[in-house]
Amino acid sequence: MTDPTPSSPAQLAPPPGLRELFFGMLQVALSAFGGGLSAWSQRIVVEQRRWMSNEQFLTGLTVARLFPGPNQINMAVYIGAEFHGLVGAVAALSGMLLVPFSLLMAFGLIYFQIHALPAVDRLLAGVVAAAAGMALSMGFKILDQYWKDAVALLLAAAVFLALSFFHARLVPVVLISGPLAMIWYWPRSAVRPRP
Amino acid sequence: MTGSPLLMVACRPESLSDLGRLVQVIGQFLGLSLFSLGGGNTLLAEYHHLAVEQYCWLTARQFADLYALAEAAPGPSSMIVGLLGLGAAWREGPGWALLSAVAAELAILLPSTLLMVVACLSWKRLETSPARMAFERAMGPITLGILFAVGLKILRTADTDPAGVVVSILVCVLMLRTRISPLWFMAAAGMLGGLGWINR
Repeated sequence: MTDPTPSSPAQLAPPPGLRELFFGMLQVALSAFGGGLSAWSQRIVVEQRRWMSNEQFLTGLTVARLFPGPNQINMAVYIGAEFHGLVGAVAALSGMLLVPFSLLMAFGLIYFQIHALPAVDRLLAGVVAAAAGMALSMGFKILDQYWKDAVALLLAAAVFLALSFFHARLVPVVLISGPLAMIWYWPRSAVRPRP
Repeated sequence: MTGSPLLMVACRPESLSDLGRLVQVIGQFLGLSLFSLGGGNTLLAEYHHLAVEQYCWLTARQFADLYALAEAAPGPSSMIVGLLGLGAAWREGPGWALLSAVAAELAILLPSTLLMVVACLSWKRLETSPARMAFERAMGPITLGILFAVGLKILRTADTDPAGVVVSILVCVLMLRTRISPLWFMAAAGMLGGLGWINR
């Protein structure tokens, strides 16, 4: 793939300290209030503050998607860990979550106070219908990339049926289907991944 | 969802001390953290099971409301775990509720964060390992299956009348075909609800 060292290290800013990590991610979170968190974090971390090269950032996205945990949160962990290991990850994560989490908790406290009011409940009945539509779209969003892989579709269907109609719990389903799928998808020849 | 007669067994919360419930919340989310594949939304049906069916922290309706709230609020929607923690300890007062919320969020983030740090530090070796490649390709289809199950679960939990289901399907199509911010859909559907055109 790409060279492990940044293409032009001279253009990168000096590595951020913990405080800078915290405030940088706070800036990302605040900028992304309308959505597009990933784009904002690229703009701020790569273009504006020049903490890492674009290649490093894209590698981070790959790692963040691959490993368990919310993608955006994993991305903050990656950025923090790149410079200061676990402590850096905690600093970046706190910066990213502080304001949105506090805000959400405020919404939550208000919700539990007023949700029983009939007017609020009527309003929420509509909002919940829209939110269900959003949840429904998640699977369709990634369906396209599996159309040509019959085994993948079969596997997905089996997981779906087990969870939805046989009331299996997620943890055993993943623990059984995961290793089976890994055996099937294990790279057979020693070919290196295409660049 | 389509008015199926749900056999509602009254969910009875266990009688636990304040601290006992806090430990219960933390333990459950710690255990689920490493199973949040594909960005975290894969755990929503498990959250529903824990909060509504197993521990009775919330009613199904409250769960649907909190999901919508987490989606509408700015920031990662996986922060719904904080709201579940809030609901779990709501009866014990706002102070305990907030403590429980923070504890739940930390618990769901801690294991995956630790793993992520290890992954970042050893990525150069992992990147070319066959196990990593097999894992990446294997988790895709499993995530796909889980996300469809989650979508269906949330639709059932929303439990609206047919008009509401039509709105859900319409929003689903618009999410896939357009780049309109979902906040508009929620606002419009909220108005329909306020006017009494969508009920549950």
